[in-house]
Amino acid sequence: MSLVISGLRAAVEEKEILRGIDLVVEPSQVHALMGPNGSGKSTLAFSLSGHPSYAVLSGSVKLDGEELIGLPPDKRAKAGLFLSFQYPAAIPGVSVANFIRTARMAVNPSDLPPARFRKMIFEQLDVLDMDPAFLSRYVNDGFSGGEKKRLEMLQLAMLRPKYAVLDETDSGLDVDALQSVGRSVNALRASEDGAQTAFLIITHYPRILNYIPADVVHIMIDGRIVKTGGPELANQIEREGYDQIRDEAASSIA
Amino acid sequence: MRLRAALPSITVPVALPFAPTAATLDAAIAMLDGAGASGGANSPAVRRAAFAAYALLPVPGGYPGRSWRYDYAKLPFDDLRWTSGRQRVATMPFAPLPADDAAVDRSALATDNAGGLVHLGATLLEAPGPTALDPRVVVTSLAAARRDYADLLAPVAGTIVNPHTDRFAALATAFQNCGAFIYVPAGVVVEAPLQLLFVNPAGQAAAVFPHVVIVLGAGARATVIERYAGDGDAFVCGIVEAHVGPKAELDVVTIQQADVEARVFASRAARCERDATMRWQLAELGAALARSVVTTELADTGARGEAAALFFTGATQHVDLTMHTAHVIGHTTSNTVVRSAATDSGQGRFFGNIAIHKQAHGSDAALRDDALLLSKAAHIDSVPALEIAANDVKAFHGATVGSVDDEQLFYARSRGIGRADALRMIALGFFEPVVLRFPGERLRDEIRTALDAKIDAATEID
Repeated sequence: MSLVISGLRAAVEEKEILRGIDLVVEPSQVHALMGPNGSGKSTLAFSLSGHPSYAVLSGSVKLDGEELIGLPPDKRAKAGLFLSFQYPAAIPGVSVANFIRTARMAVNPSDLPPARFRKMIFEQLDVLDMDPAFLSRYVNDGFSGGEKKRLEMLQLAMLRPKYAVLDETDSGLDVDALQSVGRSVNALRASEDGAQTAFLIITHYPRILNYIPADVVHIMIDGRIVKTGGPELANQIEREGYDQIRDEAASSIA
Repeated sequence: MRLRAALPSITVPVALPFAPTAATLDAAIAMLDGAGASGGANSPAVRRAAFAAYALLPVPGGYPGRSWRYDYAKLPFDDLRWTSGRQRVATMPFAPLPADDAAVDRSALATDNAGGLVHLGATLLEAPGPTALDPRVVVTSLAAARRDYADLLAPVAGTIVNPHTDRFAALATAFQNCGAFIYVPAGVVVEAPLQLLFVNPAGQAAAVFPHVVIVLGAGARATVIERYAGDGDAFVCGIVEAHVGPKAELDVVTIQQADVEARVFASRAARCERDATMRWQLAELGAALARSVVTTELADTGARGEAAALFFTGATQHVDLTMHTAHVIGHTTSNTVVRSAATDSGQGRFFGNIAIHKQAHGSDAALRDDALLLSKAAHIDSVPALEIAANDVKAFHGATVGSVDDEQLFYARSRGIGRADALRMIALGFFEPVVLRFPGERLRDEIRTALDAKIDAATEID
């Protein structure tokens, strides 16, 4: 039982961005994937989710033994994968409540009668400091950056995936918004049915890790994971930036 | 749209095979002079003059696109029956139904309404019994209005839709065989909608030429719902004209759900006096070919015109929609919003025109039209236009034609929503800005359900 990425190579518009990613995320773990801009972090997120513009050249992604490569995005979500988008799309005319209910029914059709769904979504709104009026707004339509990220977290909490990829969820957030994101993730991890949820937190800055402590930190440069370590690695990035690791990586390849 | 409600059987004493010819018009006029026919409202002279105009007026349609299948010069009229009359029935069909009764076909033919008229083909149905209507309000057939309310009707009928400027308005005037007159006197507010129902009976191909005249006195308020439904390949070619008095407010809602074999044409126009508000809400959902020309004349200061229209063509359906707004004088406001979609070999075209006349300084006009193509063979043309002859005006127009946005689709699918469901959700959401302009949640839900059914019926949604 784990998310196993092996030898993953992927291209965008015929340009190879991911050049062989190997990564194993065990249930309930928090992994941080850090790297400078353009290192391929978001490409990894989209390749895992099955975005049609990202072509997987080779490799495998197994979610609890099920191969995701080749599956359409909705099947991957049903298998238990969730992506929190850096720039989520707006869907005008579709209310947040309708969208989340439809998604929840799709990934887990068995349970949750309307009254319990309602109770659950109101609890999660509270954790995220969101006004219930939010539910009748159209998905991401006219949302501020912070509202978009909160909606991603609301979906995360309502869909209860096995593996959640958070793509730059911290970017553009003020401290209050970042705190509520942290609260939401930690509440999910503390809950009975969310305790097994594992996270892959993609970030440029280590700031978010103050709110959601990582068990494992990976550094990605030029489409490869060049270094893996514990939480101390994030602190090193905070102090020194990526240059030294980039130099180490360059010399080890040379 | 197929109706599960039982229709009364009607006996049509005399019917003419319809063709747009002088001989047919002569026969029609002779028939209206005879006994039993009572739907006629136009004089023989008016009919003959309109028919002469029909023969001379240009064929509308301009230069049809590659995939447009109809030529208005070559419409077939075979097997159509022209008739005119009224019939008493024991009870009125399509009375409001209980909202929670799932067993009946709850098309909101059962919309809560304050009264109205029902036509089967061109035959007016009359049922005994009380009506919910405010006694100050007039809702009657156009022929009866010609007799009983000539002073109210004469200044309006034929002056707002000019039958000598549009070929099918001319045809409708020449062969008029049914219709309605609605009069809401000054200061009277009718809360529930007045409903005009035009239903084609199964097994008949009726040639129906309705003429609806609506007059609102100063400060009056009303909502009129006109519905087109029924079975078979009817040809409906009508006129709706409205005079909205000073500070009056009129909503005209059109729900066109005619059979997929039918052709439904209409010329609709309103003249708005000082501080009057006219709102058009138009849903073109049925018919093989639907043509609607909607004109709003903002004739005096403070007048406001709002038009919201949607259409969704599937199979080989065609919709041809034209919306004109004329800012005749300054400090008038208009807002037009159109959403359309097409799937399978569905076709559509929209001409939107805003004219701001020379004296109309300080006018404010907006026209927005968006079209969604859901299959390879679907096609929608969009032609918005502004003619501005005044200075110091605010005018906006914009149009888009496109397919479902890939990023929206991916986002929904990344949440576990399957491709078909995601497309359905996005397409229905696309119509929401126009759906929300229709009055009443029940009517809005009816339209949402009808749009959803069009997606169900489509063989290709992409």
